[in-house]
Amino acid sequence: MFESLLNALPVALQLGSLISLFVGTLIGILIGALPGLNPVMAIALMLPLTYGFDPIIALGLVAGIYNGSMYGGAIPAILLNIPGTPAAIATTFDGYPMTRKGEGGLALKTACWSSAIGGIVSALALMTLAPMLAKVTLAFGPAEYFWVAVFGLVSIAVLVGQDVSKGMLSALLGVIIGLVGIDTISGEERFTFDSLYLSGGFELLIVLIGLYAVPPVLEMAEKRNESYFNSDSFRAKPSGGSLGLLRRHWRTWSRSSLIGVAVGILPGAGGNLAALLSYNEAKRKAPDPETFGSGNPVGVAAAESGNSADNAAAMIPSLTLGIPGNLVAALVLGALMIHGLQPGPQLFTRSPDVAFGFMWQMLLTAMLLLLLGGMVATRLFAQVLRMPSALLVPTTLVLMAVGVYTVNGNVTDLYVMLAFGLAGYLLNRLGFPLAPVVLGVLLGPMAEQNFRLTMLIAQNDWTVLFTRPISLGIIALLAVVLLSQLWKTLRHRRQSQDQAA
Amino acid sequence: MKTTLLLTTATVSALAFTPAMADYPDRPIELIVPAPAGGGTDNVARMLNQYLEEELGQPVAVLNVAGGGGAIGVNQFSRARPDGYTLLSTWNSPITTVPHMQRVQYSYETLTPITSTSQSAYTLCVAPDFPAESGEEFLAELQANPGKYTYGNDGVGGTMRLAAERIFEAYDITARPIPFGGAGETLQNFLGGHVDIYGGSITPVLPYVEEGQAKCLLVTSADDNEALPQASGLAALGHPELETVLWRMMLGPEGMEEERAEAVADAVARAVEHPEFQEFLAAQGETLNLVRGEELRERLKQETQAIGETLENLGLKQQ
Repeated sequence: MFESLLNALPVALQLGSLISLFVGTLIGILIGALPGLNPVMAIALMLPLTYGFDPIIALGLVAGIYNGSMYGGAIPAILLNIPGTPAAIATTFDGYPMTRKGEGGLALKTACWSSAIGGIVSALALMTLAPMLAKVTLAFGPAEYFWVAVFGLVSIAVLVGQDVSKGMLSALLGVIIGLVGIDTISGEERFTFDSLYLSGGFELLIVLIGLYAVPPVLEMAEKRNESYFNSDSFRAKPSGGSLGLLRRHWRTWSRSSLIGVAVGILPGAGGNLAALLSYNEAKRKAPDPETFGSGNPVGVAAAESGNSADNAAAMIPSLTLGIPGNLVAALVLGALMIHGLQPGPQLFTRSPDVAFGFMWQMLLTAMLLLLLGGMVATRLFAQVLRMPSALLVPTTLVLMAVGVYTVNGNVTDLYVMLAFGLAGYLLNRLGFPLAPVVLGVLLGPMAEQNFRLTMLIAQNDWTVLFTRPISLGIIALLAVVLLSQLWKTLRHRRQSQDQAA
Repeated sequence: MKTTLLLTTATVSALAFTPAMADYPDRPIELIVPAPAGGGTDNVARMLNQYLEEELGQPVAVLNVAGGGGAIGVNQFSRARPDGYTLLSTWNSPITTVPHMQRVQYSYETLTPITSTSQSAYTLCVAPDFPAESGEEFLAELQANPGKYTYGNDGVGGTMRLAAERIFEAYDITARPIPFGGAGETLQNFLGGHVDIYGGSITPVLPYVEEGQAKCLLVTSADDNEALPQASGLAALGHPELETVLWRMMLGPEGMEEERAEAVADAVARAVEHPEFQEFLAAQGETLNLVRGEELRERLKQETQAIGETLENLGLKQQ
């Protein structure tokens, strides 16, 4: 296997492949940076244009767009509090406060390095461990997915911040939003009020843009006469060298990259879950958890290395089993098939150059991020903030509207986006955290569906939830997280009581 | 000599038709695809579109209007002006299945049938140690063990599940349907041993058949499938009428002129002849299938009625 891996390196290094990687990464960063435009759409539109080329060139473009957009999403997340892609939500938590404090340049640089490192770790996992990890993918049935979702929901307990009841209410609101639409198990409509639009359910991307991107724009508009941003953020060269970053974040990077890879090999879980779980773990492990959310660079590092480490790992089930881990992976499968390559177990023996070449490309584009990301993001996008808000506010709104409209080509989606925007603005003002809403939308239905699938398969024998080894492993992890949190809270309370006495 | 003569005749007749054809299409056409960008329907539509543009001599812009199992896009389309500049490229479920389950503003009776394009069958596969080696034995095993086996499928009201239930109904079989989000998810659960039977499209499972990790015993088309020699088609089992496949078509809004529908159907018929398109279809596991005009409406009608009956028996029909 390692021999074929080495043989494929020259394939990935040929001029055409390098050019497509370069172009793809650049396009990816731009698409990620524009809220609403997403990599899936970009790749779907570009692939037909590459049918005439060598497959490795088509795949280079895909790899570039895929990795580039994952980092690109962090740029507006950091500069404007608007996640460019759903996976960049966790990046807003600390990235945007950093910009407000005048550390926008540092936040962008941290995000760039973290994305690159996450991407590199993930690509290495894809290159060396793919067949082994694919077995893990298959061992995950509906019961295991249920526990993964529960694990994610429980981590809300860590995300909610000070006011636990408000956090829980936010999460419940998210679950209810996630319930709207046709129930996939019974075919019944839920909370649709006889509306054809609602029967399709809410698109996650539209909910996210509404909740996360509209409120900051409204806030900017409110404060149009004050200087909203600290001008230090506009400086192209942030203080502090790359070595300093490495020394400061290597623990976070390794932890988050592992989480990203683990989430990546589960089809359907996705980069946003990877980023949120990484952020949680970083916060839990940090000596100063209270500084998270007010501009701690570790938060940015965790979120960005987590979501980028999901990328190449999500290709593992796709290349080795023929089961796409996400929509981009499904497009890669389509591209391979169009070029006459059959994804699945035989791909590595029949067309090793393409399969391993693509893995090299995933690695190369992660490295390219360091070069292109720094250039594009800091030199170009950071200057966006210099725009007066009278221009910035309408421009951002138009971009978001265009992005949302292109998802389904449906005007109603725009009204829904605005409605969620107003809801997000109100929730913000009332002190309800938004992150649990998103986790609720994402994980509520995942937990519910997989629980019911488990019950369908086991004919309502609920003991299967506790008898399978992987389920037990996740339950044990869950217990550790819960107990350690409980322990911290109790100790904290006792300390404050001591001080009071 | 003969060829030259034929060519001349062809040219002359083409010229003779030119005046009638020249006024349509004389501006760009919008093609609504009621599925998101990047899905199977979208891929096939965009691929065909490249060649269709050449044949029609006008740009054709694809507009993805997804949601509601395709109903949202088709609803929007059904309100478009029937001037031939808004066309629909869809798969069968939004027309023949969804109207039984949701209120929609269209039916096979109102939309103008233009032409079907391609189709692919679904297959039912089991693990190598399953006690059956042919389609007949497979159905007998299911018949003998009601409620014992689980089969993964594309979801409640999905065409794959309906295809299976139509067969099971005829054979008096009770198998437990487990609704997943698509063939990929079903394959994952089948390979992991979480469900007994794989039910889904042929292409994803093919490598596992070659590896000996799966044996496919039934396809839901009347004909056998070359790629799956062990699987029986429904005609071989004596039930060609139970065929339910995934197929794709182009439709016009209600009241579209027949000449314009014919012009589009002719252009599609020429576009599908491109070898690149045929290679692409083969890779997707689809075969060409051109049925046009009223014949197409008849096919839609029969399928709508058959699926309506199955849905009623399953208790899924909404009225």
